[in-house]
Amino acid sequence: MSGRAVYGIVAREFLRFLRQRGRVLASIGRPFVWLLFAGAGFATVFAGRNEIDYRVYMAPGLLGMVVMFGSLLAALSTVTDREAGVLRMVLVAPIRRSTVALGKTLGATALGTTQAVAVAALMLPLVHLRPTLGGAGLALVAIVLSGLALGALGLVLAASMRSIENFAGVMNFVIFPMLFLSGALYPVRHLGPVLRIAALANPLAYGVDLLKHALLGAWAKTGYGGEMPVLLDCAALALFALAGLAGAAPLLAREGGLARAAFRERA
Amino acid sequence: MTAAAIDVRGLGKDFGAVRALDRLDLEVREGEFFGLLGPNGAGKTTTVHLLATLLAPSRGTARVAGHDVAREGLAVRRHIGLVFQETTLDRDLTITENLRFAARLWSLPDRVARPRIDAVLRQFGLWERRNDSVRGLSGGLRRAADIARGILTEPRILFLDEPTAGLDPRARRALWEQIRGLRAASGVTVLLTTHYVAEAEPCDRVAVLDHGRLAALGTPSELKRAAGVDSLEEVFLAHTGHRLPEGEGDGG
Repeated sequence: MSGRAVYGIVAREFLRFLRQRGRVLASIGRPFVWLLFAGAGFATVFAGRNEIDYRVYMAPGLLGMVVMFGSLLAALSTVTDREAGVLRMVLVAPIRRSTVALGKTLGATALGTTQAVAVAALMLPLVHLRPTLGGAGLALVAIVLSGLALGALGLVLAASMRSIENFAGVMNFVIFPMLFLSGALYPVRHLGPVLRIAALANPLAYGVDLLKHALLGAWAKTGYGGEMPVLLDCAALALFALAGLAGAAPLLAREGGLARAAFRERA
Repeated sequence: MTAAAIDVRGLGKDFGAVRALDRLDLEVREGEFFGLLGPNGAGKTTTVHLLATLLAPSRGTARVAGHDVAREGLAVRRHIGLVFQETTLDRDLTITENLRFAARLWSLPDRVARPRIDAVLRQFGLWERRNDSVRGLSGGLRRAADIARGILTEPRILFLDEPTAGLDPRARRALWEQIRGLRAASGVTVLLTTHYVAEAEPCDRVAVLDHGRLAALGTPSELKRAAGVDSLEEVFLAHTGHRLPEGEGDGG
């Protein structure tokens, strides 16, 4: 393990993120677009119920969404690294493949966390949600753990993709299902058994649940708080992160795209 | 007798049914300037990637800086620098940021890295452009930055995979000057791959590769004498029965 190498990989992720001004604006603006439009629409559906303002209900889920986009997209940049050749240079450095995977995952987590904290600072006052000190601490834990899990899984996805052209597929078959089955927009417990089981395999569901524990504690009695035990949420996220890291390391170094491409033509 | 910098025995690589490298035997001595000459698809890049532990051998063994490439990848990578055929710089970062990124990947402490980065920037004529984004650089400057990064970590063995591909003649000459200066100053072992005969001429020894096989091996003058010809071009023709294709290429 090389701490400097991990730091170098994380620092590069940050530099790249800050250079891409559009990405910064999109990551901060996206949840507010959802709050405004999805919030307005769903609020009318929710209207009969007076227990909770829908925009308050949405806030933890939207923070989960920010972490997901932040960490997953950062991890997916590994595909671009492969295409641009940067990944080769990283793989020829005197560090283990697992160090590369760890650096990429921590970089993705750091980016997702930074974005989520920035959005939380703007959004929570906007919806008049004032977390307790303990709640804020738990929210940070939820954000970091979600970032680790989604970053590591994003890395597995990225390492097994050849080019970024598959990105639309990732959006439709990974990001959106994950978002809708996370409890970010509506409680998952009202869904049918199949979808509820699918939700159990969804890392974001545990992250959002943990965020609800952290931020919607006051509404726990009305059934809008977290539904699963806090420790289960934490354990599940940690497990996703570890599994992702273990899976990504060998995939990163997978052959091909190098000399292989040149020989495919000869074959 | 000093140990070989690179010791290759029966090394081969298949991609599916394609035999990219058949069975290669060669030794590169410490401090040597060694050329791998051959057309695209001869197995040059495959050889370099095998030696740099980016590919796993299908057969045979290779030791680089005394370490086995299949079993001691980390130790091998500690001693090598590799300049890839295509640039591997991060286009969104400046030259200095790219060099700093490499220094961290190689775990160089800042106090060591900073003066070295300044030194290679000056050495390769990049000082004035050091804070420019790589995206805006000419091919020649990018190549110079790639090589600067390759030697930043002071490798014992430097692989240059078709370093002049895509460069205009002036950038090409400048690059050769830099490589000559580098060898004189540091005594680094250089393994160069090229499909330009002229670039193999200054090498201490040259291995001629064709279709994944070693066709000939020796100093340029030995090769010419043995084949009874005047140029490496004809050496290649004598050993393989065909000429080196002209012009640009990318495979290997």
